[in-house]
Amino acid sequence: MIDDLKEKFLNELESVISPADLFQLRVNYLGKKGHLTSALKALSSATPDERPLLGKKINDVKQFVEAHIASKEAAFKNEELKKQLLAGAIDITLPGKYAAFGKEHPINQVLFEITDIFVKMGFSVEEGPEVETDYYNFEALNFPKDHPARDMQDTFFVSDDIVLRTHTSPVQVRGMEKRKPPVRFIAPGKVYRCDADITHTPMFHQVEGLMVDKDITFSNLKGILEAFLHQMFGPDTRVRFRPSFFPFTEPSAEVDIGCILCGGSGCRVCKNSGWLEILGAGMVNPAVFKNVGYDTEIYTGFAFGMGIERIAMLKYAIDDIRLFYENDIRFLRQF
Amino acid sequence: MRASLAWLREMVPGSESDVDTAHRLTMLGLEVEGIEKVEGDTVFEINVTPNRPDCLSIIGIARELSAALGTPLNFPEHEVNGNTGELDFNIDILNPALCRRYAGRIVKGLKIGPSPDWLKLRLEKSGIRSINNVVDVTNYVLIELGHPLHAFDLGTIKGHRIQVGTSGDVKGKAERLRFRTLDGLERELLSDALLIWDAERPIAIAGIMGGGETEVSDSTTDIFIESAWFDPVSVRRTAKATGLKTEASFRFERGTDIKMLKKALDRAAFLMHEIAGGKVYGKIDIYPGQLPPAKIIISAEKINSVLGLDLPETQIIRYLNDLGFVVEEGKGCLNITPPAYRVDVQGGADIIEEIARTYGYERIPAVLPMASVGIETQDNSQKAFSESLLKELKESFLKSGFTEVINYSFMGDQDLDLLGIDRSDLRHLLKVPIKNPLRLEDTYMRTMLVPALIRNIVYNVSHDNRAFKLFEISRVFSGSKDEKLPEHKYHFAAALYKEKTRSLYKDDTNDFFVVKGIIEALLEALKIRDYSFGRSVEPFLHPGQSADLFISGSKTGFVGALSPVIVERLDIKAHGPSIVLAEFDIDFLRPYAMQVIKYRPLPKYPGSERDTALVVDESIASSKIVALLKEFDSDLIEDITLFDVYKGKNIPDGKKSIAFSIRYRAADRTLTDDDVETLHNRIVGFICEKTNGQVRS
Repeated sequence: MIDDLKEKFLNELESVISPADLFQLRVNYLGKKGHLTSALKALSSATPDERPLLGKKINDVKQFVEAHIASKEAAFKNEELKKQLLAGAIDITLPGKYAAFGKEHPINQVLFEITDIFVKMGFSVEEGPEVETDYYNFEALNFPKDHPARDMQDTFFVSDDIVLRTHTSPVQVRGMEKRKPPVRFIAPGKVYRCDADITHTPMFHQVEGLMVDKDITFSNLKGILEAFLHQMFGPDTRVRFRPSFFPFTEPSAEVDIGCILCGGSGCRVCKNSGWLEILGAGMVNPAVFKNVGYDTEIYTGFAFGMGIERIAMLKYAIDDIRLFYENDIRFLRQF
Repeated sequence: MRASLAWLREMVPGSESDVDTAHRLTMLGLEVEGIEKVEGDTVFEINVTPNRPDCLSIIGIARELSAALGTPLNFPEHEVNGNTGELDFNIDILNPALCRRYAGRIVKGLKIGPSPDWLKLRLEKSGIRSINNVVDVTNYVLIELGHPLHAFDLGTIKGHRIQVGTSGDVKGKAERLRFRTLDGLERELLSDALLIWDAERPIAIAGIMGGGETEVSDSTTDIFIESAWFDPVSVRRTAKATGLKTEASFRFERGTDIKMLKKALDRAAFLMHEIAGGKVYGKIDIYPGQLPPAKIIISAEKINSVLGLDLPETQIIRYLNDLGFVVEEGKGCLNITPPAYRVDVQGGADIIEEIARTYGYERIPAVLPMASVGIETQDNSQKAFSESLLKELKESFLKSGFTEVINYSFMGDQDLDLLGIDRSDLRHLLKVPIKNPLRLEDTYMRTMLVPALIRNIVYNVSHDNRAFKLFEISRVFSGSKDEKLPEHKYHFAAALYKEKTRSLYKDDTNDFFVVKGIIEALLEALKIRDYSFGRSVEPFLHPGQSADLFISGSKTGFVGALSPVIVERLDIKAHGPSIVLAEFDIDFLRPYAMQVIKYRPLPKYPGSERDTALVVDESIASSKIVALLKEFDSDLIEDITLFDVYKGKNIPDGKKSIAFSIRYRAADRTLTDDDVETLHNRIVGFICEKTNGQVRS
C-alpha cells in the first residue's frame, strides 16, 4: 500500500501545471487528511513488530514527497521571476542618456603636453603679467630703445612705457629677479602682436624656458631641447640647430625639426625645405644677467621659446590659425 | 635681402650647386627662405637678422662664403683716377656725434640716360626699379657693398657748400621744419632730425631721403656723390617720425661700415665714369669721429666652457682670422679686434657665437645637463595649489559637458553697451586702452569674459550649432591708479545655449539650476564654506532667473539667464533659446578654498529623519528656510535637504509649499523617537513663526 503511494504521487506530480495544482497536491498528501498523515495515523493499528519498519517507510515517502514538492515550487517561482524580468526588458539598443564631456581647447591641450614634459625634467612653472612694462618686455632683454630689433615684433601699446607683452621672455627677467641660481623654469602664456592674417593672430601662446646654473653649456641646450622634441614629436624626429639672432641670447639658435608632414622630402608646409622652424633658443646674453644682477663669471644659462599655435597646427594638420579663435564648437569637439 | 648667385660668384668663385650654397648660408645664420631661378641665374631670398647689417649686401654674404669655403674674396674694381682739377667745395660736419664721417666726390660732364641692360637686370633681381644711370649706380653700389650713397645735382647746391647738422646746429635754434623729399611729399621734421644742408637750406634728410630740389634730373650734368656715416639711433628716430623707410635708412639704422664708405664712393665714381662718362674730381673726406677699434678680451677656455667643446686655441684663432678678425695672443687670453663691418660684435658672447657658427651648430654634441635637484619654495607651493584649483575647476566643467574656448583678450565699448553696463560701472571705468588696436572693437583689454562668450554663441548659432556649453578661463585686466601695471585677475566664465529640442529622455530642469549646480558642487569640492547666492543686480540678466555669488559676503560673480531683452538684440535666429551665463573671479576664491583637510570621525549612533512640508508666502526664498534652520542651531541637526517646492493645486494663490527633510543625530547616544519628535516640532514651530507659515496637511 505505502509502496504504491510513491508511484501514485509521482503520477499526480506529473500532471501538476500550476502553483494551485501543486497546493492541492500538497494538501492531498501532507494535509491533515492527506494520504501520508492518514498512513501515519494508521500506524498505531499495526503490530509492534511491523511498526518500526512501516514507520520508516512512511517517513521515507513523506521526505520524498516534501522534496519533490519543494523543488516543483522553486521551479514555479523561478518561472514567475523569469516572466517578471522579461516584462521589465527595455530596448537596450536605444542610445544612453548621453552625458557628453566637454573638450579642452586644443591650444591648452598642447600647452599642457609641453608643460608636462618640462615639469618631468624638473622645470617649475612661472607666470608673468600680460600687460607689461617696456623695461621687462624690451630693455632688460637687451632690446634698447630705438633699436631695429624691436621691428621684429609688432607691438601693441598701452602707453609709451606699457605694452602688451610681445613674447613670454619678460618672465625670464622677472623669474631671475625673484631668485638666485640655480634656476630652472618654464613660462607658458598669452602674448600679443599687432598682426592678423592666415598665419598670424593678434594674440597667441608661447612657452618660454630658462635654465641657469654653473657650467650650463650650449651643448646642454641642445641636450634638453632634443630630449623635449623627441618626447613631443617622437624619438626619430630629426633636430637641427642653426645660427639666428635674439637680442637676449648669444649665441642664438633657431631650432628646426624634420618636416613631420612630408618626412623631409619637401612639401607645402615646410616650403619644400624639409624642415620646420619650431623653437628659438640660445645662451642667455650676459647683458641680461647684468640686468638681474647675476654674476656672468660664475653663471651661464640657456633660454628658449616656442609658439604653441604653430606646434598645434603641425600636430593636427590645421592650415588656418584663425580657427583656434573662432571657437566653432564643431572644431573644438574634434580634439 | 635678395642676392644673385652669379653676383656672389664674381666675388667668391665656386661650383657648388645653388641648393648646397643655400644650405651652407642657412647653416651660417643667413637663412635662405626662397630660391628663385631668374634668366640663367639663381636669386636667394635671405632673411638677414637685424644684428647683421653687414650681410645686407652682396659683399657681406660673399665674405661669409669666402670664410666658410676658404676661398679668397675678389673685391670689385674701384680705383678711380680722380685727381683732376682744384675743387671749390666745402663740407662742414656740425654734429660729429651724429655724423662721424662724411665723404664726397664731384663728377662733372655726365650724360644722364638709361642704364645698360646688365645693370638694369641686376637691380631688377635685387628688387630695385631702374631710374637713370646715375641713380642706378648709387643703388647698385648700395646692393653690392651695402653702403647707401646719394647723388645731388651739383648745380642746385647753393654756395658750394655742404653742412651736416640738425636745425639747431645750423641755425642756432632747434625748430621743426617742413621739407619736400624727392618723392614729392612735404614732410614735417622733428627739430632734432639730422639734415644735409647747402649754404642756405636743407637739401636731404640724412641717411633717409634726398630733397626734391636737388634731385638728379635728365638735364643734370654735374653731380655730387655723398657717402657718409650717420648715427643709427638718429636715423631710426627720424625715419619713424616721418614714416619713411628706405633702403638707405634700413641700413643706416642697423649700422654701416665706416671704413667701407670710402670704397663705396670710389666704386660709384668708377661705375659712373664707365657708364655715364664725365670727369671724376678728387675726394673730400671729413672724418672727425674716428674711434679706436673695439677690443674684446676672452679666453679659449671660456669659449669652450660656454659651448661645451674642447677646441684648441689655434683652431679658434684660425676661425676668427678667416672671418676678418685680428687676434693677438695675450696671457691666457685672446685680444680680438673685429672688422669694422661687424658692428654686431661687441663682447665675448659675440665671439663665442662666431666660433659656434664656424665650427657648426650641428657638430656641437647634445648633452643633458648635470642639474641640482630643485626645491619648491613657499611661493611655488602656493602656486601649485592655485594650479590644482584651476584643474579642479576645469575638470568639473569639462566633465559636465562644457567645452573650453579661448578668446582674444580684447573688447570694445560695444561689448559692454550691448549688456547695458553703465558707464559708471568699474568694468567701464577701469578699462585698459590699447593705443594702436587692429580694430575699433578691440580697443580695450577685457574687464569681463562674458561678452566674448556671447559672441561665441552668436557665431555658433549662425553656423547651425544648436546646443552647446562653453567655458573660458582667462585673465581680465583693470587699470590701477597706484600701480604702473593694471591688475591681472583670472576669471572663469561659462555659457549654456539650448533650443527647445525633442529628446528621448525627459529633463525639464531650468538651465539656471544646471549651471548653478555645477558651481555649487565645485565650491563644495574646493571646501569653500562661506558662500551664498542672492538675486543678481546685473543689468543683462533675467531679473527673476539670476543670482550673484557671494563669498564671505563679497560679490565675486554671477549666474543667470541672459535677459530676453538682450537675447532679442543678438543676431540669433531661434525662438526663445535658453541662454545661461556665469562668471566669477577665481583669484578671489583662492584664499577661501580650504587647503588643510581634517578627518571627522564617523557617527557611532544611528540618525533619524523627519520630513515636513510648509505652506509659506511665495516671496519667501527657500534659502530663508535653510538659514532659519541653521539659526535654530541645534547640535542634533546633522543635515537639511530641500526636496520639493510646489505651487498650484491645493495651495492658495500667492503661497507655495516647501518640503524639507532634517536628519537628527547625537554623537553620544541613540536618539529616542520622543527626543526627535519634540525637537522637530519645536523647529517646525520656530520656522512657522518666523515665516508666517503653516504645516501643510
